[in-house]
Amino acid sequence: MKRTTAAVIAALIVLPAIAIALKVIVLGYRLGDVLPRTLYRVSLTVRLDGHGRDIKVRTFVPVTDDRQTVTAEEQTARELRLAFEPDGGNRLAVWTGGGVGDRAEARYAYAVLTEAVRYDLAPGLEVPTSYPEAVARQLLPEDAIQVDSPEVDALARRIGADRGDVRQRLERIYGFVSGLPQRPFKGTTDALTALRLGEASCNGKSRLMVALARHVGIPARLVGGLILKAGSKKTSHQWIEVYVGGHWVPMCPTNHHFAELPASYLVLYRGDQALFRHTADVNFDYRFTITTERVPSPKAKAAFKVWNVWALFDRLGLPFSLLRTILMLPIGALVVVVFRNVIGMPTFGTFLPALIAAAAGETGGLWGVVAVMILVAVVFLARAAVHRLELLHSPTLAILLAAVAVTILSTALLADHLGLPKLTRITMFPLAVMAITAERFYLSLTEQGARKAGKELAGTLVVMLACFAVMSSLALQVLLIGFPEVLLWVVAANIYLGRWVGLRLSEYLRFRPVLTPGAST
Amino acid sequence: MIAAARGLVDVVRRWREVARHRHQLVGINRRNVELVYANNPRKHYPIADDKLLAKERLSAAGVPVSETLDVCEGLFAIPRVMTALAGAEQVVIKPANGSGGQGIVVLGERLAGGGWRRPSGAAMPAREVERHLAEIILGSFTSMLADRAFVERRIRPHALFHELWPDGLCDLRVITLRAQPVMAMVRVPTRASDGRANLHQGGLGLAIDLRRGRTFRAVTRGHAITHHPESAMPLLDLALPHWDEVLDVARRAAAAVPLGYLGVDLVIDVARGPLVLEINARPGLEIQNVHGYGLGRAVAEAP
Repeated sequence: MKRTTAAVIAALIVLPAIAIALKVIVLGYRLGDVLPRTLYRVSLTVRLDGHGRDIKVRTFVPVTDDRQTVTAEEQTARELRLAFEPDGGNRLAVWTGGGVGDRAEARYAYAVLTEAVRYDLAPGLEVPTSYPEAVARQLLPEDAIQVDSPEVDALARRIGADRGDVRQRLERIYGFVSGLPQRPFKGTTDALTALRLGEASCNGKSRLMVALARHVGIPARLVGGLILKAGSKKTSHQWIEVYVGGHWVPMCPTNHHFAELPASYLVLYRGDQALFRHTADVNFDYRFTITTERVPSPKAKAAFKVWNVWALFDRLGLPFSLLRTILMLPIGALVVVVFRNVIGMPTFGTFLPALIAAAAGETGGLWGVVAVMILVAVVFLARAAVHRLELLHSPTLAILLAAVAVTILSTALLADHLGLPKLTRITMFPLAVMAITAERFYLSLTEQGARKAGKELAGTLVVMLACFAVMSSLALQVLLIGFPEVLLWVVAANIYLGRWVGLRLSEYLRFRPVLTPGAST
Repeated sequence: MIAAARGLVDVVRRWREVARHRHQLVGINRRNVELVYANNPRKHYPIADDKLLAKERLSAAGVPVSETLDVCEGLFAIPRVMTALAGAEQVVIKPANGSGGQGIVVLGERLAGGGWRRPSGAAMPAREVERHLAEIILGSFTSMLADRAFVERRIRPHALFHELWPDGLCDLRVITLRAQPVMAMVRVPTRASDGRANLHQGGLGLAIDLRRGRTFRAVTRGHAITHHPESAMPLLDLALPHWDEVLDVARRAAAAVPLGYLGVDLVIDVARGPLVLEINARPGLEIQNVHGYGLGRAVAEAP
């Protein structure tokens, strides 16, 4: 390789690295932010038979705080009206209705991004003698949290929770409660019952832990919520928070989280509350349905301030999918280059597989392949049909374009009818490009034979899937938005491959007579 | 276990053989970077790509080329060309920028009812010839938007080539590097290749020893053969007629154009001897399979 070429490549590798380092150090970009996050879509459905009476149903719905962001709230209801009320720090959703009939139904849905949190409890922290008033209330006994019970006192002494610093006390309490056998109770267990039984469900363990913590002078409170996981469920969950050094620190003795909470925990309310309250005798039923999707981290969006194309697209009302298509095409093109110049796989057109892969961002890889096959088949038939008319080239292409247009829309109609939402996105396929591809398949088939044409078609689909696999990486997309200088690495790779004179993999096969003269003759 | 070990040893042995031979083999990447880009400035490609332009340059330099009877520059010229063709026979119509033999039509003797007989025996009426000219002009056989068509006198191939392929034309491909021949082969169409000299589709390639002017290896579809698969004609050690003259014409043709790496395609006419049909600035690499060794070795051993 010439020295100038090597120098250019070196510069193209080093300069972006410097730019990335600067962004991280000076501008506070975080590389970890490029990783996609899991967005949970939660839908709560409540059903009841009102028997023509006045009905009231209330439940807690999540609020946005430091570790959970609630968006895209929506609701539908039949015969019921939804209103929201603040309730301490919690938020109540209240459905009311007069003369509500049977089989009334209401749905409340939202999307939520959550984060895992973790606290390090400093050692040597003495139990404070006084707390702010609001916090001090979380030291008092409640109906189901018998802080002053002699049994709680005895237990606290036995496990040593009444001695040492805050962390030691909490560790002893947590160690005892989380070590109790698990019991899949339905219904409520109070602290004392859990203590006496020596086993409990999540709410029993949590109440016992709150009682013990309060008893030894550490404010504690119950937290109710959901463990987010794709699927459908009725089970909610309870854990606790303890007040240490001015922070409410989460603990889940049931699932063994000490001073930490995984991202899957969604807080719905704080305090010893029932998740639902409703008018009696209405056959009340409810269900949470949770789906997940991968989304760019909102932190990335907030942090990436230089060359802010993301905000630009938001301002212009252009979809994120267009932005990522534009930025990922050079990456897809590099994949094609590798397949063509290093592997030697034949494809229709140079960057066609990358273009189709970009379109397949909407359909998904599998349906993308199906879409290409449908288009090629139809255009092939159209081409064969007009062949006998012996038309000149451009008018032929124009006819094929019409065939592609009708096929795309017909396929979308059919896909919609069959309930294949992914395949309906065939409408995103580049029209002219598809017409030309299919035309080339036809010419290849008639001039070079089925073998060669089949190989090229298969090659196109394989390279398209490879492009798709790379281009659909959300992490890579966000990386390119935040650090577009990465494209210079792509340029460096292309310069290297542009001067690379090695044999393509396929040529090891093609030139067998030269490479293994002993074997082939 | 033993079978696996033996298999592994075999793979290693095969790989070492490959590694030994691969340095002298030129793949597409090496051809483009080290031969084409290094020797053929892109601005001069049209000289090679446009057959008419090439023939003009070559004949101006005194290189014998196949005779151009007429040029059809546009749709407007078709009536004139058709009038000129009316009395002609044994001619070939070609697109100036075609590739791979596309768009070439051979017109044999005239038929009583008008039109011509093609080598395949089928009749080609004048109307169809007219339409074919139009197709060429409108760029059906080129990657460009439009093209020119030209009419050549049909070559009457030398007896050896006639024997190899009686229905048409065998040509000689000579690879030149900086105006020196480094590799040469005869390309023989067959019935299996549908009359095309395409080595991938059943055409034959006969490797020529440059010094002796004799064939030393014959290959079809990557397999070495000794006899013609259709006529059983022996293919090895055939003496090429006018060989020194062929090399001389190839050298002069290569020297006449500013392209350092060329595929010069020649035919040997019964009457006129070696003639250049066309030149190619990006000649294919299959000639290496025909020879059984790579272009690298050929360059090192060239006379």
